[in-house]
Amino acid sequence: MYHINKIFALALIVLLTGCSIGGEKKIKIFSVEKPREKLDYPMPTALQLEELKWIIITSENAQEVFAKLEAAGIDPVLFGVTDKDYQVLSRNFAQIRQKLQETNNLLKEYKKYYEPEDKE
Amino acid sequence: MFGQIKMVITILLIAGIAGAGMYVMKLRSDNAILKANQHKLETAITEQNKVLKQQKEDFTAILESNKKLNVLINTFKKDLQDLDKRFTKKNRDIGKLAIDRTGAIERIINKGGVNAARCIELASGAEHTDAELKATLKSEINPECPALANPSYVPYQ
Repeated sequence: MYHINKIFALALIVLLTGCSIGGEKKIKIFSVEKPREKLDYPMPTALQLEELKWIIITSENAQEVFAKLEAAGIDPVLFGVTDKDYQVLSRNFAQIRQKLQETNNLLKEYKKYYEPEDKE
Repeated sequence: MFGQIKMVITILLIAGIAGAGMYVMKLRSDNAILKANQHKLETAITEQNKVLKQQKEDFTAILESNKKLNVLINTFKKDLQDLDKRFTKKNRDIGKLAIDRTGAIERIINKGGVNAARCIELASGAEHTDAELKATLKSEINPECPALANPSYVPYQ
């Protein structure tokens, strides 16, 4: 009877501690960060403008200018602006150019900030 | 009598061992929970440090970008003022000048047109030519947009 009790006690000890043999399992927490896909548009293609020729026409050279145009086979017609409007046109073009530069610059800065080359 | 005492001691022994085992199990379970908590805290601290570092970098990048844009806006203002100056310097009247020196003004206007067109190309993202990049003299620059076309050019004081 005494031996049975000893065996029973030993079995109970093994049973109770059996779950912890080899230490408890470590909890591993994984956090995988998946970055948002890049939009990655290429920068807009640069403009290639065609050259245009300005002709200055005054009351004195008008006939000569039209004669030259006819001789060159060009329709003798000119679309004109006054000297003041020429200045306005120059200013307008300068402003368009600046806006284009500003927008392009902003685009570059946004791209640099949100889609840097080295970050994945 | 002696047998009964033995029985009681055995039961007490078994109960004690069982209690101790359960207590050890509880301790191990608590330990596992604490370890998991610690791991979570350490991960959170690392994440927080990462976020703080990123915030600092972002802030610097934003400041840098703002500075660049402000410089650009100031350049625009100066370019427009320079353009106005070219038309009106010393009470200049380009209308009268064009009547007096038609050929010369026509050449100047056409050259200005070519330069202005080049400025638009550059503003739209065109690559600079070597000559544009190396230009340091007033005679070499594109006077319509020197800051954009000729980054090496420093205006004379």
